[in-house]
Amino acid sequence: MHPEKAKHDFEPKIIAFVCTWCTYAGADLAGTSRMQYPANVRVLKFPCTGRIDPAFILKAFQQGADGVLISGCHPGDCHYISGNFHARRRFAAFRKLLEFIGVDLSRIQFSWVSAAEGGKWVEVVTDLTERVRSLGPMQEFRELALEEQWSGAINTPELQEIYDQI
Amino acid sequence: MSNHIDTSAYSAVTAAIRSEAARLLAGGEVSAVIGYLPARRKGSAQPAIITSADQAAELIFSPACVNNLAVYLTKAKKEVPKSGRIAITAKSCDMRALAGLIGESQLQRSDIHIIGLPCPGVLSSVADPSALLTTDTVASKCLECEFNLPQGADFTPVVNVTAPRGPSRYAAEIARLEAMTPAERWSFWKAQFSKCIRCYACRQVCPFCYCEQCMCDRNRPQMVETTPRPAGNLAWHIIRAIHLSGRCAGCAECERVCPMDIPLNLLNRKMARELKELYDYEAGFEPQEKGPLNSYLEKDDQSFIK
Repeated sequence: MHPEKAKHDFEPKIIAFVCTWCTYAGADLAGTSRMQYPANVRVLKFPCTGRIDPAFILKAFQQGADGVLISGCHPGDCHYISGNFHARRRFAAFRKLLEFIGVDLSRIQFSWVSAAEGGKWVEVVTDLTERVRSLGPMQEFRELALEEQWSGAINTPELQEIYDQI
Repeated sequence: MSNHIDTSAYSAVTAAIRSEAARLLAGGEVSAVIGYLPARRKGSAQPAIITSADQAAELIFSPACVNNLAVYLTKAKKEVPKSGRIAITAKSCDMRALAGLIGESQLQRSDIHIIGLPCPGVLSSVADPSALLTTDTVASKCLECEFNLPQGADFTPVVNVTAPRGPSRYAAEIARLEAMTPAERWSFWKAQFSKCIRCYACRQVCPFCYCEQCMCDRNRPQMVETTPRPAGNLAWHIIRAIHLSGRCAGCAECERVCPMDIPLNLLNRKMARELKELYDYEAGFEPQEKGPLNSYLEKDDQSFIK
C-alpha cells in the first residue's frame, strides 16, 4: 500500500510559512486525502502571507532551517483582499536582497496553493525537500552563529602594525 | 585621473542663505533655521539650529556640508523645537529625504520653508575637511547626482553649478559583487558585517529610521540578537535594508557615519535599482503618497512564485 520509504543520510528541515485560508487548508486536504509526502516540512500558520515579515525567513535560517517555503492564496483570492499582493511585492524585493547578500535562492520557494490544491501542496513540498536535500545542510548561517566577536587578541598583521604605531 | 571641481558657487550660495535666513528670522516667518555652521577643524562644518537673525550671519555652505539635515525634522529627534515653521537648508539629496518624509506624513510641506542649496558636490568622509574638492575626494553619492539645482524649494539661490563628472563608484562596486558567485558574495558581506559594533549610528542618522521602537530593540520576541556578533549583525543590516527599500533617499549618511567603514549604501543603492527595475520607482522630489512596497498592481511580476 505504501511504497518503501528511502533511507537518507540528510533530512533537511523545511519551514513553511503558510496562510490559514488557502495553503493551510490545501495542506489539510492533502492530509485527509492521505497523500504521501516528505515529513521534513514544519508548517507555521499565518492569517495571511501579507503578515509574513521577511525577518521570519532570516530567523528560520538562523534557527537551523535548511529550506523555507512561503505559500498563500492565489492573487485575487486573498481572504483579506490584498494581503498577498503586498506580500508578492515584499518578497520580490527581499529575494533580490538575499541574492545580493549571497544566500542561495534555491533554498527559498514561494508558491500560491489554494484550499483545493492538495496535490499542488504535495508537489511543491516534495520538490523543495528534494532540492534542498541535494544542496545539503545550510552551513552559512550555522557558521555565522559560531563565529565569535573579536576576542581582543592581536592576531593579524594589520592589527599588529596598528598596535606598534601607538 | 582626478578632475578639479569648480567650487566658486559656494560663497555665492553662502551669501544667499545668510540673507534669506536673516530675513526669515527677523520677520518672524520661521522660529528656527536648520543649517550648517563652521566646526572646529579647519574647513569642517556642523549642523546647527539657529533661532535669531544675528546668528544667520554665521551660516555657511561649503564642500564639508555633507550632513543630511532632514533627520532633525523627524519625530525621532525630540530635541528639535517643533513650534512654528522651521526653515531648513537642503541639497538635492536632502530634498529627496524631505519629499519622502512628506509622503509618509511625517512632515507637512506648509510647516517647513526649504532653502535649496545648489551644490557642486561635497567631500567624502575619508577626505580631510580642508582638502580640495576633486572627483577623487568627492563623496560617492555626488557622482550619482543628476540634480545639482534642487527642485521644489521655497527659496533657491540662482547660482550656476556643474555636476562632478566621473564614473559611479556604487555602480562599479555593485557590478563587481553581482559578478561574484553567491559564496563569494556571502564571504564579502560576512567580513563586512563582522566589523559592525552595533553602534546604530546608521540608524540614528537616517531620516527614515524614526520608529518609536526599533525592531532590533524588541526582545519579546527578539528577532535580532543584540550582541555585536556576526549573526546578529547580518540580521540587523538585512532588516534595515529591507525596511528602507522603497524609502531610502540615497543621502549615504549611513555610510558616512559608520565608524567601521561598512559600505552600507551599497545595499540601499542595490535595492533602489531593483525597485526601479521591478516597479519603476525612484526616490524623487515630489512626495509620493504610496511607496512601491505600500502599493501593488494586479499584474506585478510573479515569475518567482510557483
